[in-house]
Amino acid sequence: MKIIEHSYCADLSWVKPLARKLKGKIKDNFIIVPEDIQSGTRYFLECEDGIVAYYINVKYYKNLHFVQKNSKNDFIGFYYDLTDGEVRLAANNTICDLGRWKYNLAVIDGTLKTNYQIKSGSHTYALCIFVHKSKLAAFIKDDTVLFSDLQKITDPKKNTIIRYDRISNESFHILNDLRKLKVGGPVFDLHLKATVHMLMSNYLKKIARNRIIIQTVKESDIQNIIAMQMFLIENIEGPFPSISLMAKKVEMSESKFKNLFKKITGLTPNSFFMNNKLALAKELLEDKQLTISQISSRLHYSNNSHFTLNFKEHFGLSPRSFIKQL
Amino acid sequence: MKKINHLYSLTPEWQQQLVQEIKGKLIDDKIIVIPETLGKGHSYFTPVAEGISVLFVDFVLTEPVEINRLKSDEESYIFHFDLSDSVNSIKIDRADYKIGSHKNPGLAIIDNQTESSFKPSVNERTLALRLLVDKKLLNELLETTAVGEFQKQENKLEQKSLYYYDNIDSNSVLLIRSLMDKSVFELSFDSYLKGISLKLLGNFLNRYENLSAKKNDITDTELEAVIKTQDYFLKDLCNPFPTINFLSEMAGMSSTKYKMLFKKHFNDSPKKLFLKEKMILANKLLQSGNYSTLIEIVYELSYTRMNHFHSKYYAVFQRKPSEDFVKKTYRKMSRRAPQVVT
Repeated sequence: MKIIEHSYCADLSWVKPLARKLKGKIKDNFIIVPEDIQSGTRYFLECEDGIVAYYINVKYYKNLHFVQKNSKNDFIGFYYDLTDGEVRLAANNTICDLGRWKYNLAVIDGTLKTNYQIKSGSHTYALCIFVHKSKLAAFIKDDTVLFSDLQKITDPKKNTIIRYDRISNESFHILNDLRKLKVGGPVFDLHLKATVHMLMSNYLKKIARNRIIIQTVKESDIQNIIAMQMFLIENIEGPFPSISLMAKKVEMSESKFKNLFKKITGLTPNSFFMNNKLALAKELLEDKQLTISQISSRLHYSNNSHFTLNFKEHFGLSPRSFIKQL
Repeated sequence: MKKINHLYSLTPEWQQQLVQEIKGKLIDDKIIVIPETLGKGHSYFTPVAEGISVLFVDFVLTEPVEINRLKSDEESYIFHFDLSDSVNSIKIDRADYKIGSHKNPGLAIIDNQTESSFKPSVNERTLALRLLVDKKLLNELLETTAVGEFQKQENKLEQKSLYYYDNIDSNSVLLIRSLMDKSVFELSFDSYLKGISLKLLGNFLNRYENLSAKKNDITDTELEAVIKTQDYFLKDLCNPFPTINFLSEMAGMSSTKYKMLFKKHFNDSPKKLFLKEKMILANKLLQSGNYSTLIEIVYELSYTRMNHFHSKYYAVFQRKPSEDFVKKTYRKMSRRAPQVVT
């Protein structure tokens, strides 16, 4: 196992040492790492003063152990981690598995030392956002309402926060959109900045609605619900598997299942399913490989007009007019 | 009709004057709430990044209003995205443009240094997003993304003050629509709007980058089918050309579509491509020295008349077949014959 000690902060001073540790070099905004460790892209960008985004889309060929020891402690890191593979994050005596189907958002204070272990063969897609604390405070004080949760973040006495969470479906699609783009260049920079803004917005909304309940729910329940989310995504092309079937699978009562699902994902099972199904339909339309009727039958709609209706209801635009102006 | 005058700048100061004029309420230097005498709704203005600001308006007016935007000294472009329910009109330099609703284009790009007036329709929801982008910044972005198409358009329309007038691309429509069900008074709206604005600009640049690139409309399955038919008829060049009807059936599409796709992909019609390949084969046969007469080759290639072959061959190579013909020699035979004797 290779151990890499590095630091992050809300400006770009961490980039060079990290590149050196990975035996890589810096070209434009890319960190280029030798192919025997990983393949893929690492891209960093200073979005504005005090906000840095770090885009990672890589496949690892070695077991790596990142030790994060920051010299500055005036920032908060938001780690959106959609890894397929094994990742373990240890910080402050807590150990947590990260990845697309586990916890995929970690909010960690810069004062903490963290250990991030990743196994060879894992494919990581992650976006790390480092926000200066004063910037975060400004985010909140801009508005007339002050939220107790956010105050805690910016309160210097209680500032050793660490949070694990699941990102909302909406945020997931925002990240997924970013993933489709070609990295580099001013257009990508615009999109990256936009993504950062939108993710922050979603996060603030979540806090405002007090939706961070994930640490208050039993661990095994979360696992079960995530397993069912996975199950739904796997069967996204088929018809909706019934609630009773899913409840039986995880050995809960139907009402408990429905409640927990809503609590953890913010959506009902059916709307989660439909959201993702229509997002898939949109992707297929964008590909231009299939006709509308082919897509609707592939997604198991009984007829085209039902599909069109659903699509229009969700996006406010019919599939036909969507294709027309792509 | 009530007339309202205002001007834009990249910083929020311009709102003060507008608020006084319409007697609205300004919250936080960002939100203008429209007074009830005029209608219901609000606007939201915020700087996004250096050189980019955004104004989002969402209102229903009860009284006809003409909103005049005065000339500004600031050098910037205004991207007007309109997703209103009904048609609004923009008057730029005495020319009227219809914008909004499904039928009309929803995107107009205006120079901040020319005057324009915006007439939203009454008792209908007006939903628009205006991006103010600094000229220098936009030019820089355009340069780096090599957007030839846009500049061409720009030059063409230089005399007119409207630079660009088009439909909004679908992904941008979805983005703007997603703003509809968000409340501007929420904490998260600010950064969401900023994100949307940057994405819109990104989409715009992306679109014009892709316009100049060749568009590929053929789907993979169709392409595969077309290539399969091409392989099929190139395999036996000696036979006559299988008809277009046969080939299109093989590819599973109508003959018109088949011909169109074929031509798009191979830059030639199936028959012409077939003939060309056939003549190259004929040339090979002629020079191979395996045939003693021309007529043998003509029959080999399934031509019934010498003349016909002759003209086709001439059309491709500008040479007569007889000029390229190498006659079969019998030298090997004669050499072998004495060996048998001894």
